[in-house]
Amino acid sequence: MPENIEKISVKLNVNGKTYVRNLEPRLLLVEFLREELDLTGTHVGCDTTYCGACTVLMNGAAVKSCTVFAVQADGAEILTVEGLEKDGQLHPIQKAFGDSYGLQCGYCTPGLLISTYELLSHNKQPSDKQIRKAIAGNTCRCTGYQNIFKAIQLAAQNRTRT
Amino acid sequence: MANKFGGEEKKWVGKALPRKEEDRLLRGRGRFADDIKLRDMAYLRFVRSPYAHARIISIDTSAAEALAGVVCTLTGKEIVPQTQPFIEIGPDSKVRDYPFAVSKVRYQGEPVAAVVAESASIADDAAELVRVEYEALEPVMDAEQALQDNSILHEEAGTNKIWHGVFEYGDVEKDFQDAAFVVRIDRLHFHRFSSTPLENNVVIGEWNLKDDRIYYSCNNSFPSFAIQFLSAHLNVHIDRIRVQTSDIGGSFGIKITNYPQMAVVALASKKAGGRPVKWVETRSEHMTSSAHGNERTFRDTRVALDKNGLITAITSRHIDDCGAYPRYEPLGCVIWSQVFPGVYRFKNARIDFTQTVTNKCPVGPNRGYSRMQHLWFLERVIDICAHELGIPADEMRMRNYIRPEEFPYTTPNGCVYDSGNYPGMLELAKQLIGWDAWKKKQAEAQKQGRLIGIGIGTTLDSGTNNFGQSQIVNPGAPFSGNSQGANCKLDIYGEVVVAVGSCPQGQGHETTAAQVVADVLNISPDLITVRTGFDTERNVHTGFSGTYASQFAVSGLSAVHGAAQKLKTEMKRLAAFVLESEEDDVEFGVGAQGPELRAKRTGKSINYWGLANIVNVNSAVLPVEMYDITLNCRYIWRAPFKVPDKQRKYGNLTLTYASQLHIAVIEVDRETFIPTILDYVAVDDCGTVINPPIVEGQVYGATAHGIGAALLENCAYDAVGNMLTSTFSDYTPITALNMPKIKYGHIQTPSPHSYSGAKGMGEGGAAPIHTISAALQDALFSNGIIIEDSFNNADSLFRALVGKEICQAERLVKLERRAS
Amino acid sequence: MLAQIGDEAKLLAGGQSLIPLMKLHFANPGHLVDLNFIPEISYIKEEDGALGFGALARHAEIENSATAAKLPIIHDCAAGIADVQVRNRGTIGGSIAEADPSGDWATVLLTQAAEVRCLSPKGERAVSLNQFITDAYTTVLAHDELVSEITVKIPPKGTGAAYLAFKRAAPVYPTASAAVSVAMEGDVCKEADIALGCVGLIAIKATAAEAALRGQRLTDKSIAAAAEAARAAADPQSDMRGSAGYKRALVVALVKRVIEIAARRARGEQVEVSHIYA
Repeated sequence: MPENIEKISVKLNVNGKTYVRNLEPRLLLVEFLREELDLTGTHVGCDTTYCGACTVLMNGAAVKSCTVFAVQADGAEILTVEGLEKDGQLHPIQKAFGDSYGLQCGYCTPGLLISTYELLSHNKQPSDKQIRKAIAGNTCRCTGYQNIFKAIQLAAQNRTRT
Repeated sequence: MANKFGGEEKKWVGKALPRKEEDRLLRGRGRFADDIKLRDMAYLRFVRSPYAHARIISIDTSAAEALAGVVCTLTGKEIVPQTQPFIEIGPDSKVRDYPFAVSKVRYQGEPVAAVVAESASIADDAAELVRVEYEALEPVMDAEQALQDNSILHEEAGTNKIWHGVFEYGDVEKDFQDAAFVVRIDRLHFHRFSSTPLENNVVIGEWNLKDDRIYYSCNNSFPSFAIQFLSAHLNVHIDRIRVQTSDIGGSFGIKITNYPQMAVVALASKKAGGRPVKWVETRSEHMTSSAHGNERTFRDTRVALDKNGLITAITSRHIDDCGAYPRYEPLGCVIWSQVFPGVYRFKNARIDFTQTVTNKCPVGPNRGYSRMQHLWFLERVIDICAHELGIPADEMRMRNYIRPEEFPYTTPNGCVYDSGNYPGMLELAKQLIGWDAWKKKQAEAQKQGRLIGIGIGTTLDSGTNNFGQSQIVNPGAPFSGNSQGANCKLDIYGEVVVAVGSCPQGQGHETTAAQVVADVLNISPDLITVRTGFDTERNVHTGFSGTYASQFAVSGLSAVHGAAQKLKTEMKRLAAFVLESEEDDVEFGVGAQGPELRAKRTGKSINYWGLANIVNVNSAVLPVEMYDITLNCRYIWRAPFKVPDKQRKYGNLTLTYASQLHIAVIEVDRETFIPTILDYVAVDDCGTVINPPIVEGQVYGATAHGIGAALLENCAYDAVGNMLTSTFSDYTPITALNMPKIKYGHIQTPSPHSYSGAKGMGEGGAAPIHTISAALQDALFSNGIIIEDSFNNADSLFRALVGKEICQAERLVKLERRAS
Repeated sequence: MLAQIGDEAKLLAGGQSLIPLMKLHFANPGHLVDLNFIPEISYIKEEDGALGFGALARHAEIENSATAAKLPIIHDCAAGIADVQVRNRGTIGGSIAEADPSGDWATVLLTQAAEVRCLSPKGERAVSLNQFITDAYTTVLAHDELVSEITVKIPPKGTGAAYLAFKRAAPVYPTASAAVSVAMEGDVCKEADIALGCVGLIAIKATAAEAALRGQRLTDKSIAAAAEAARAAADPQSDMRGSAGYKRALVVALVKRVIEIAARRARGEQVEVSHIYA
């Protein structure tokens, strides 16, 4: 490890709030969100970019925040699970996951909500195959995915209805 | 929702009530152990062995200690004088198990030292600076080889063998003399895998030097077991250890055995002057050194059958590989016998059971623990015999199943199967999958040279252990029975608050406990607060409290029900006094003042606040004869068990037996050898269902674990003990793209052994592993293939079909037809 | 800047391979130069009969690009890399420069007339793809040089190409993969390019397999001959993804299927390709 690492000034927007911080270059985005901002809804489940528990939206695109350095998010807009609800009301995707029993332990859920958010932002009526592809980078160990598929379909239906 | 007044009815139990847990988890407000940050907290990182078997020559921590921000280091040598080796469950065990390797390492990833630092990243850097010198020893990677004792892991023990016992019932040899057919199976093998909860192990521990108590926030899933081990190990009075869990990101049994890391964290905190110390396991650490499921080899199996294909006797030799340290073992050496005959009627059998250590990660009770290995073995026996004798798989099962009218059924080893209907489940599963249509498609496909197989897997999920079975492995073990505690109270302002000794990981305990209490008090579940997580200070735990072994619906909810009944009785007595009425005249419901009790005769009522007020802050109005009323009712539920007969290895080992019947249709591609599931059905029977979608979710989850284990997930080691699947990217836990659509069905045969008729469930006995093995064999039997391993991916099928290295029927199986 | 820091520096493009390696302590570069703040090199364009991909064009951008869709094999590749999240970050330039033996792009581009433009303070040079990667994780890039663009010539009508991989799960590298491009004249294959991924230290150009197709009518027999030649060209290692023998068998199956898809595309058919998952 090189000594005297220079910190880098970063300005980014998380869930609508702007933060300016001096960060160690090797700090991961997920560490920044969890440790510095106390946004602990975003989780870590692996160390090889497999499980997607750390998925957040970065400039509209789902990314694994364990595989992005925080300094790379300079100027970015980040949405985490905590930013989904509005005025205390659950986002329709959150509601659909609840109504479909699409979660058990809830550890993978924030990542899955964000992946679903991205999917439905560009695909109003995803097919079963598109849903599977969209969450292929999100591991869930509890649900066997069945109720997650239902939840995403329900979220899509609710969306097209409103 | 306003309820009508009345007595106790099942209004909420059995309903698809949305889970109370959901709101915080969906908002990202769950509280998982890693989310907790304490003042002055330091961070711990382990230094782990790259070798599977090696002597430790020296450990030099000086460079790590010199790094700025490092608080302290800790090694095995240092902790030995302060601690006792962990309790061993086995009889006269000479294994000395410490949370660090002391003089030698016995598996790749075993902790040899720890570094504590001001930040996680400094601890990370410092761990790299610890220099350990090793002298490599010969690793023992195969269970049968281990039993030859050429290279011994625990020298103090003098042997690698951990346990041996023979389970023999009935006149086995007579059945072999009388048999119409004898089938011999040389070797079957159940592979090592782990259900790898998505949240890794996390321990925050503080050995507070001011009050000399140890405070834990962690995700251990059997804390009352952990504190018994920790208390003895750390020489600390058990009441001085507080364990709290909050939301847990899955366990599947794996987190039962993280108590060694809990010990290290406490010792590190002590050395760090009492600062709280946090350890967050990485996924690679989890894969190499958390816990794996038991690996088991089945040798020299002989099966006697009558002329109709009815199995009359089985003999076999089973060798269980528990990895480097027994830890929870050798309990697995008896747990399997809860399902000794599986779902089948044979009475006579002899299983010679041995357990050994090897230079692999220690095992832990992984979902389906010890029973799934045995049930897979029995299902293999059924399908191999069926194929050899030319009996269709469904027919073979119908002939051998225990019949619905035989329940409660006593097994050859004295277990009492409470209820079930295996033929009914088979019928339903066949209907749901379209059995006849698939049979037709299979025949057509065969003509085109395609390889399609249809497989059945029947399995049992035995729930609520009789811990007395530990005495079968160790006659001196001081455990028996099973129990769970719960508390139900009216708080000072009349809130209904429930606490249980479980530590759920997504099973919906908050919801189902509220459903049970709601029915007792005739109020809506959203008026009930269920405390989440485990806390020793809530005083609702017994020595068996935790969440494991498919039992909450029985042990947990029985305790909750008992506590709620006690509270109800007190409330009635008190209300009768206040309302100047008789207890029989008082009814429960929700009225104008919220939840209240009402005298039918007078119509006068008092709400919960009123009752709680009298007991808690207005007690001068309470007559002396009612001073025993606390409205704070603790209840300990005990399972009605006897101590088993240790000599005969006989007795009832489990209270309830949920069952699963799965059918899979699989095609093996002739060119890529990839097995693809074309159709899949899972039928479940867990007796009376408390909350149907929660049960359905558990079935899906267990099914995914089984499919993953059967096709994708294998804890593989190379010949010198390097773990080949030390990351998720190598291990490939099942994803949405691998998971077929599951058709779900259920029947209910209520258990006579639980108050509600419910049976514990959730493990699913790893049904898909049996089912997929059966379907693959069905697809490939005409090519001379017998499925001999529980793990089969495209590569194994290639090696079977093309390489002819494995799964060769002519090498594995011999059928002897006796003249009749 | 690279020239100043020297060879301790690593370039960070999408970071989807490098960051995991750093987390596992398999890579520990003294300096990391983030290229992501150079927006000029993330374009996807069509120019002079070729597609040009700025080094920082992300897999997802290529997947969703109408321009890139002109070469369906490019879409096959981009859409099949890892998962959505990784495709949203990972870049074509980073993938090529990393030269992972399991990477998808090199295998696909070996079947195309593809060039890698390399930029350094001394100037720019274009290296054809088959000369760019010299060994596993090794390219001709000098330490002060970076990939700026990848260009792929749009082949004439009558050419079709496809890419197919077998993967155990989306987020991991394939067990084996095959890319095929065929130029057809009626039933006859005039030109063929076949490349194999994950079965050698670098992507393998299966020249004998190409020869087995060249000038031949595409029949079960000629396709099988090409696939067999590809099996011989593969040089896989046994690992957790499969034994060497199995990977060779897989190559045969993949090559057969990809030739058929490529030929159908050459005839102008729209064929959707999706990788095979366990």
